Amino acid sequence: MSWKNIKLIFTKELVGTIRDKRTIIAMIIIPLIFYPLLFTGIGYFNKVGSMKSEEAASKIMIYGAEFAPKLVKHLQDYEKIEVLTIEDDSLIKLQNGDIQAVLAIPPDFKYKIEQGGPGKFILKYDTTEAKSRIAKQRINQVIEKYKGEILLQRLSHLDLKEEFLTPLILQEENIATAEKITGSFLAVLLPYLIIILIFAGAMHTAVDITAGEKERGTIATLLVSQISRLEIVLGKCFAVMLISFTSMVLGLIGLTLAFLSGASIAGGVEGVQFGISINTVFLLFLVLFPLVGLASAVLVMVGIFARNIREASSYITPIYMLTIFLGIISISQGIELTSKMFLVPVLNSSFVFKELLIGKIYWDHILTTFSANMVIAGFALLGATRLFTKEEVLFRS
Amino acid sequence: MIQVEGLTKVFHDKKRGEVIAVNNLKFNCQKGKIYGLLGPNGAGKTTTLRILATMILPTKGKVKVNGFDVVKEPREVRKQIGFLSSETGLYDRFTPRETVMFFGRINGIEDKIIEKRTAEIFHNLDMEDFQDVRVNKLSTGMKQKLSIARSIIHNPPVLILDEPTVGLDIITARTVIEYIKSFRDQGKCIIYSTHIMREAEKLCDMIAIIHQGNLIAQGTLEELKKNSSFDDLEEIFFELINQGENLE
Repeated sequence: MSWKNIKLIFTKELVGTIRDKRTIIAMIIIPLIFYPLLFTGIGYFNKVGSMKSEEAASKIMIYGAEFAPKLVKHLQDYEKIEVLTIEDDSLIKLQNGDIQAVLAIPPDFKYKIEQGGPGKFILKYDTTEAKSRIAKQRINQVIEKYKGEILLQRLSHLDLKEEFLTPLILQEENIATAEKITGSFLAVLLPYLIIILIFAGAMHTAVDITAGEKERGTIATLLVSQISRLEIVLGKCFAVMLISFTSMVLGLIGLTLAFLSGASIAGGVEGVQFGISINTVFLLFLVLFPLVGLASAVLVMVGIFARNIREASSYITPIYMLTIFLGIISISQGIELTSKMFLVPVLNSSFVFKELLIGKIYWDHILTTFSANMVIAGFALLGATRLFTKEEVLFRS
Repeated sequence: MIQVEGLTKVFHDKKRGEVIAVNNLKFNCQKGKIYGLLGPNGAGKTTTLRILATMILPTKGKVKVNGFDVVKEPREVRKQIGFLSSETGLYDRFTPRETVMFFGRINGIEDKIIEKRTAEIFHNLDMEDFQDVRVNKLSTGMKQKLSIARSIIHNPPVLILDEPTVGLDIITARTVIEYIKSFRDQGKCIIYSTHIMREAEKLCDMIAIIHQGNLIAQGTLEELKKNSSFDDLEEIFFELINQGENLE
């Protein structure tokens, strides 16, 4: 085996892939330009929408205003509430969005409050309308304020202090470090995203440089050269690994940019600190490397087996679905981890990513995952090389 | 330079069972000669040439290329051959210069020698004008010239050409044939498969007629004519095929 030959194939595949417009679109334009623009756009329109809803005063109608004059006074005093004169078709107006809420106060309201009972009244609103939801919040604020006043009055009648209502005070102290908080925030989605991005990034190149070579008739020209089949397979696999890893990194950068730009426009990101240590990053890479190798080797093997690009894509679709499925399992909370689970490829990496992101380092999990994925990647590589020597696979039509 | 003895290739097909693609072939090709394999589609020409090129293994028989055994010394055999077929493609996203450099390197040639040979080949094949244009922008004729350049960059003594003019227009096909003649003049041993009678007549020093995997006649054009009641290769071809089928 000659590294020089492997490098020749590796470089050829890399240059060919980089010169492919589809690669540039999938690897750079979509994650680094399209995602941030999309999220910025969504953030912008959300902000414009919510600003409009926030700025406008909520128009409400009150039936039986005379039975709760104090409450009505509070509502009228609230800057962003406009109390309209009642009309018969108030419900239709609410449905049409002309007004945002209707408050109905029964005649016995005042009496019940004075008697020390609960004063019941009805608020009608439309939860599907942003403006109506805002009106509800505003009314609730006013009601809470009024409720506080009534309570204080009742307490003073009974000669009790305000503290009477708070017999217990629990002071909470969160001991989680910034790293752990960031990690647990990232640990939910990041492993899933990493796995999907690795497989999605490897797919196109793996198929193009295997089944694609068969389809275009270039494979025969490699087979009659001085390069061995193992060198060809390794060169191709390494190229897919690099492309897959790069598109995963670019994808994550793109999504981070998208998240930050989208969120900062919509109101800023507070409390998210990126506190991942160098050690964690190193261990992440240690787990990442065999996973990238595994994805590349399996996809290259499938690509070599397929007659053409179309056939390869149809074989790869179920593999991709399985990966998504494993990714989803890893997102699910409350799975009790057993040591056997770390033998399942893809799933094991996802669990270790999760552990690392929340600052837990279990060496047995890391080593099992690393070894299991390396062994399977090795078998896939051997399988790919073996397929490359089988004439019925290389020349079937 | 090429010695084939008792060459047999059996494929296993799920539907048809065992298929004998090539049956007990025996022939020799000499230096400075063009040996033509003539036969209809499915006769076994491509299978024979793929075995010579070490792409597939023979089921039975012995094949030596410039003294090297295709089964025992495939790597040495590959050093001796340049392979070109109507099915071999090119890398669309590379230029002719890059393509030839890559194939020179994967055939173990040093960069300096590749550069020198590339300049010679591009000059001889009149490729200098498009040597830095990507393959996907080239015409069919330009691509075929590049395919030839690619297959001879390591200066192999033996050329294995499997229907290299299929799908080419008449002008490009003629150009390709002229180059093949010039390679013969340089002393290379060329094995050439075709189903086009005119090409075989014009080009080949020796012609072997293959039908359903069997070699049913071989010799120079004159020898084939002498043994036949016809004077035209096409008529001779059909006469031989009919004889072969009647024998079965």
